[in-house]
Amino acid sequence: MAVVTEPNHAPDVGAGYPTVASRAREWAASKPAQLAMREKDFGIWREYTWGRTWDLVLDAAHGLLALGVDVGDRVTVHSEDRPEWVIMDLATVAVRGVTVGLYPTNPSAEVEYTLNDCTPKVHLAEDQEQVDKVLDLPSDSFPSVDKVIFVEPRGVRKYDDDRLLFWDDFLALGREHKAANPGAVEALMAAADADDVMTLVYTSGTTGPPKGAMITNANCEFGIQTTVDTPERMPGGKLPGPEDQVLTYLPLCHIAERIFSTWHLVGRGVVLNFAESVEAVNANLREIQPTLFFAVPRIWEKLMAAVIIRGNSSSRFKKLWLNMTMKWAGWIGRQRVANNGDWTPLTRVVYGVGWLIVFRALRERLGMRRVRWAGTGAAPIAPEVLEFFLGIGLNVYELYGMTENTAIATANFHGRVKVGTVGEPYPQIKDGFRIDDETGEIQCKHGGVFVGYWGKPEKTAETFTEDGWLMTGDVGEWVDGTHVKIVDRIKHIIITAGGKNISPSEIENTLKTSPFINEAMVIGDRRKYLTALINIELDTVGDWALRRNLPYTTYKDLTEKSEVMELISAEVDKCNEKFARVEGIKKFRLIPKELDHEDGELTATQKLKRSSVEDAFSEMIEEMYS
Amino acid sequence: MSFGRPLLRTSYEADAAILPTWFQKGSAIVALLGVTLMALGFGPLEAIPKFLLGNTWINPVTITVVFAIAALGINILVGVTGQVSLGHAFFMGTGAYTAVMLGGNVGEEESWKACVPFHDNMGLLAEQGECGLGLPIWIWLPASGVVAAAIGVLVSPAAVKVRGLYLAIVTVGLVFIGLHLGRMLPEWAGDFESGRKWPKLDLRLWKEETPLVEMTEDGKWFGLIHLSEEQKQFFFLFSIMLLMLWFAKNLVRSRTGRALQAIRDRDVAAEVMGVPEFKYKRIGFAISSAYAGIAGALFASLNGRVSPVDFGLLLSVDFIAILLIGGAGTIAGTMLGTVFVELLPEVVEKFTAWMATKLDAGGPVGLISNFLLTEGGEGDFGPISIATVAPGWPMSTFQWNFVIYGVLIVVFLIFEPLGLFGVWLKVRNYWKGWPFSY
Repeated sequence: MAVVTEPNHAPDVGAGYPTVASRAREWAASKPAQLAMREKDFGIWREYTWGRTWDLVLDAAHGLLALGVDVGDRVTVHSEDRPEWVIMDLATVAVRGVTVGLYPTNPSAEVEYTLNDCTPKVHLAEDQEQVDKVLDLPSDSFPSVDKVIFVEPRGVRKYDDDRLLFWDDFLALGREHKAANPGAVEALMAAADADDVMTLVYTSGTTGPPKGAMITNANCEFGIQTTVDTPERMPGGKLPGPEDQVLTYLPLCHIAERIFSTWHLVGRGVVLNFAESVEAVNANLREIQPTLFFAVPRIWEKLMAAVIIRGNSSSRFKKLWLNMTMKWAGWIGRQRVANNGDWTPLTRVVYGVGWLIVFRALRERLGMRRVRWAGTGAAPIAPEVLEFFLGIGLNVYELYGMTENTAIATANFHGRVKVGTVGEPYPQIKDGFRIDDETGEIQCKHGGVFVGYWGKPEKTAETFTEDGWLMTGDVGEWVDGTHVKIVDRIKHIIITAGGKNISPSEIENTLKTSPFINEAMVIGDRRKYLTALINIELDTVGDWALRRNLPYTTYKDLTEKSEVMELISAEVDKCNEKFARVEGIKKFRLIPKELDHEDGELTATQKLKRSSVEDAFSEMIEEMYS
Repeated sequence: MSFGRPLLRTSYEADAAILPTWFQKGSAIVALLGVTLMALGFGPLEAIPKFLLGNTWINPVTITVVFAIAALGINILVGVTGQVSLGHAFFMGTGAYTAVMLGGNVGEEESWKACVPFHDNMGLLAEQGECGLGLPIWIWLPASGVVAAAIGVLVSPAAVKVRGLYLAIVTVGLVFIGLHLGRMLPEWAGDFESGRKWPKLDLRLWKEETPLVEMTEDGKWFGLIHLSEEQKQFFFLFSIMLLMLWFAKNLVRSRTGRALQAIRDRDVAAEVMGVPEFKYKRIGFAISSAYAGIAGALFASLNGRVSPVDFGLLLSVDFIAILLIGGAGTIAGTMLGTVFVELLPEVVEKFTAWMATKLDAGGPVGLISNFLLTEGGEGDFGPISIATVAPGWPMSTFQWNFVIYGVLIVVFLIFEPLGLFGVWLKVRNYWKGWPFSY
């Protein structure tokens, strides 16, 4: 482990407003040998100490200055999660620039849109794939980009383009600049202002083109103080700390992962472990055994389905034990749900026995052995899924927030969990949180509310009420006067031909608890009855078909099997039992393809783009109503 | 190394560690402590080998330790490098006779009879016997390895020319050359019945009278602890074995070891990928022979009554049995196989002897004994003979052991090519996946 003998003593020019960069510098100054990040490279988890991390950040910051990045200039990062992402982010904030993250899955067209929208000076593209997305476009389509920095040289070295710059050369450039202009970065950090925009977070854009939400240093500071530093949310009131391990695998350009990873890193010193890829998350989880874990509902559903599928294909003896303990887990889960998410003496005893025979091993396989706090958010999750994970002993808390309020709204606190709700507003924003009496819309006004959309003042204005409250667009309702339950997006509420208001996402989430259903879209606005388009889960349905000796060739083929229709029909009937008659789904169709970001049916965060899906499968929909 | 996260590897050293987890480190220490206490005669622990092998259990166990060294050697050649060799006994013999030339008694004009005894009255030796140079063990033990290795290098070109079964036949030739040399040079080999005097294990600095560390008399060691001769030898040989084990384990995870395995998996492919075939086959033979030489020297010295016939084909086959039953190519399998192949006959023998005493006891034990054993009398039946050995049915336990090995080798080859180690792997993987199957 490299111990930095000479900490980077900045010239004493005052601290400036606290930023993610200045917080990182404090860690490096006080604990240079402490671990900050790990990255798996050639089969080995390479470690970055705080000292080394800050050295790299400083080099990168000087590199940005050398490339002519000025105060307020944008720097785009188009990469999978990796240390360079965080380093570039911190370096950009250090020189008072604006970090903009792009989803690694963004196709060329979206990259072009974003680059033209935020006009960055420097663009970081991870590897050949991301470089190609930029270089394939005509060079005059985004004139603002001076340099395209690439981290993985494989395949890119041969390219002949003046804009390309290798990461190592970029750092070398920074070191040169540092030698020539010592203290330049420190001076900028000292001048940091609360109102400096530190990042643009592009909303996923389920309805229109993505908009860049401007988050300032003050938003970030408020966010760290509110979401990260609230001890009530943690079991035992123990705040995250340097002994905590985090697996960073969701896109860092999304506000949720940024808070959970980068802000936890600089705010509390937790160790970030970068997953190799989305496919390797399961293996990486097992290796790292994180203590804090955040996942979107889709991941939780997949994890739950994995337990079920792998359990089904276990040998007879193992299945016997698994089935028995899963029954216990169901009981424990229900008890814990009834007990505000906390343990009762009896559940502890039952869990203790189950721990010895199955739960310990099961959690180890899932990589959840050491998880002490787990979060879910960014989309609604079905209560059944939460119950399952509570049952196998995890402490899972549902959170709620959105990009525009720096994800500061509500959270379930330890011991006060109400499953099915998104929890209580953070104590710091009690007065800045309200549910509109008329529309039922959740509205916010606090230090975390963003300053506006980048270059779209009219859109910004539409987002605020006349008295300056942020309109979240989510319909909520109070539960027991303390907790908040999200009904749906205002725009998604279905008003049937009979005049009944129905929240489709509640029905969709119930459908999605079936391991066979990946995605569902309920339709019925201004129609006589409700119908649904359903996307089956290839893994589970394929597995199910194999077990029944049902041959199939492709996904499309599978969706056309009458047996599969019957299987899903049974799942839909199960769902219908839980709702009132008007909320029942009368007809459904299986979508013959897997929904995909590239085809514009899903956003980068795997959210359904309703209008695109409706357009693409309009024939199917009309068929159900004729 | 992070405690409690066994899969989190932050360096290649940790990734390739012999004992990667704290649990494994702890288990290894406990096992070593257990063996030490057992050998020191700690009651509850000693009860186990006593029950299985009788009161003199330490003797067969010490021989097993020596065989383990030789087995590690054959594993490097056959298991790791993939060169089937039946010449291991020859290399052991080479080591033994190198040891006796260097470390055997110093002979004056007429005292050569002390070096090669028994020849006179049996009339087998017309000429004078040859004595050794009387050098200390720290010379003759390594030298026996070096000389065997040198001969191994001389033989290795054969492995480049012929493969598989043919190489096995070539190496069998070595064994017969060895036997022939033994017959031709009785002044060195001694007679075929009792061989000759072998150097003792005592540790001397040079040729002084009183050894630095006494190995062949009961007595205090280092003025600290009173040990019997057998215990001393056990600890000494066990330490050497651990050293050789450590070296073998390190070899297979080194660059050389990977090259050897590449040649095993496909020599042509290995050569194409830049692994010089001849060079590494030579290295494989050299290291394997060195192990054999050292083991041979220790074996002769420990046993005392060893003659050229003992380094015959049967000994080589023994090692093939060890590899196939234990698990070729794995160090743990080699050790398991050695223990199994070397100690099982002792256990069977002891058990048969015990049953023989119960023949007239009646009850279920007597019934089973009567059913299995035969004293050779009229109307007495049973597959195992406890009377004097005669070829044919019923067979003695000694002969039964051969049958058992034959059957075991066939069974393992068909059902569990990875041997006992494969059985262990299956059991481990079953629990590793718990509560899933994959």
